[in-house]
Amino acid sequence: MSESSQGKDTSGVTLGRFFAQAREGALTGIRCVGCGALAVPPKELCPECGARRWEPVPLSGEGTIASYTVIRVAPRGHAGDAPYAIAAVRLREGVSLLGRVVDVPLEALAVGLPVRFRPIVVKDRPAIAFGPA
Amino acid sequence: MRRVAVIGVGVTQFGRHERTSAELFAEAAADALADAEMPAARVQALYYGNVVGGETEKQLHTGPQAASVLGIPTVPTTRFETACASSHAAFRHAVMEIASGASDVVLVGGAERVLNVPTADSTEYFAYASDASWEQTLGLTFPGVFALVARAHMHKYGTTEEQMAAVAVKNHKHGVLNPKAQFRKEITLDTVLKSPMVADPLKLYDCCPFTDGGAALVLVSEEVARRSRRPIWVLASAAASDWMLIGDKRDLSRVPATERAAAAAYRQAGIGPHDVDVVELHDCFTIAEIVATEGLGLFEPGAGGLAAEKGWTSLGGQIPVNPSGGLKAKGHPIGATGAAQICEVVTQLRGEAGPRQVEGARRGLTHTLGGNTATVLVSLFGRE
Repeated sequence: MSESSQGKDTSGVTLGRFFAQAREGALTGIRCVGCGALAVPPKELCPECGARRWEPVPLSGEGTIASYTVIRVAPRGHAGDAPYAIAAVRLREGVSLLGRVVDVPLEALAVGLPVRFRPIVVKDRPAIAFGPA
Repeated sequence: MRRVAVIGVGVTQFGRHERTSAELFAEAAADALADAEMPAARVQALYYGNVVGGETEKQLHTGPQAASVLGIPTVPTTRFETACASSHAAFRHAVMEIASGASDVVLVGGAERVLNVPTADSTEYFAYASDASWEQTLGLTFPGVFALVARAHMHKYGTTEEQMAAVAVKNHKHGVLNPKAQFRKEITLDTVLKSPMVADPLKLYDCCPFTDGGAALVLVSEEVARRSRRPIWVLASAAASDWMLIGDKRDLSRVPATERAAAAAYRQAGIGPHDVDVVELHDCFTIAEIVATEGLGLFEPGAGGLAAEKGWTSLGGQIPVNPSGGLKAKGHPIGATGAAQICEVVTQLRGEAGPRQVEGARRGLTHTLGGNTATVLVSLFGRE
């Protein structure tokens, strides 16, 4: 992270740091100091109230599947992984994240299925995944 | 603001081409100028849509390249990129250029070339329109995005795979009537339901194809339009955006950007969804048509699947949707799609659509969606 970005990002949560922490198993959200709105991907301004002050909030990583799919025709870079499951997961705190679903049989996937965050690395890059709760 | 009209349209054959996207655009644009009886020398600007030229043709700066290949090298030219909605975004800005009084004659169009690369590569390039850090890393594809929409819609409303398949059957049936369409072959529900799974629950025949093609139109001020034979008036052109990330969208069964763009367009035109006679909308996947018919207010939320199943959106139905065959059968050259949809509605409102004509159509709507539902444009058109 560059020094210049630290001056503006009052939460200390940048994209790079979010994924560095996620890689270690910790999901970190941000809460608006102005109105209390919770978000996951780092943002400069609060979309609810426009404030520019955030504080980091640890997230439980527990949630349920809001929707899911199984990718069978993959992009060039992921072709070796197919088929693989991707789900939109609504976390207990009310925010959502998209992630791979791992260690859940494809036929067991369902809307409402409880899952828990687990970090994965895809092609040397940290990524979000969810496994059985 | 001044009134704006479309006075010329041109669309290439959709399908596989051995020509560059600039050549495809130039053919469509020359056809549009001829249709408008407008000398190229009177064109004051080009607004151009092209998306993956940097990847499939290793070509950036595609705006002036397209203008040069057409033969109007000195006009101000800008390339727009809003994923699959690019040339509709170009159109909206061209409308504003004329409405503001800055220009009287503007060329709008787009082109795309993708069938020159393997499917795994085009799938990857299209995925660049999702977020690089959060989504591309997962291996999310565009069928995957709309599979998430489909699953959410099925869960919330009970929409079925058969209802989605009905959209494909209907659009293929319409495509048979369109000589420019990539696919001119009727299919059955079974064709769709038994086709290979791409991203559950979407199967191959739920997906539009990769397509090469170009489209263009001539947009003019009211003063110029009055001297043309059959102007079609732009009643409204509106854009809306939404959160980029799938994870940030609150309800995946809806596309809020469609709802916002439609509300703005209806307000601009002073009409409502039930005043529209013909619709060309963004059926990149069968579920996308269902959700769009709901978001545009043609049917209640959750009723889009039933509407497709009952034939209410077929030619001869209560509101014909995608008489051209839509992206599904006509094809989806992404940079050209928005312009091609407008060309179809203009042709319909002129009463020149031949066997796919919506009888007596007076007002038409076009809807184009970009990326993972983060960009939508809606425009409304009317004949005098």
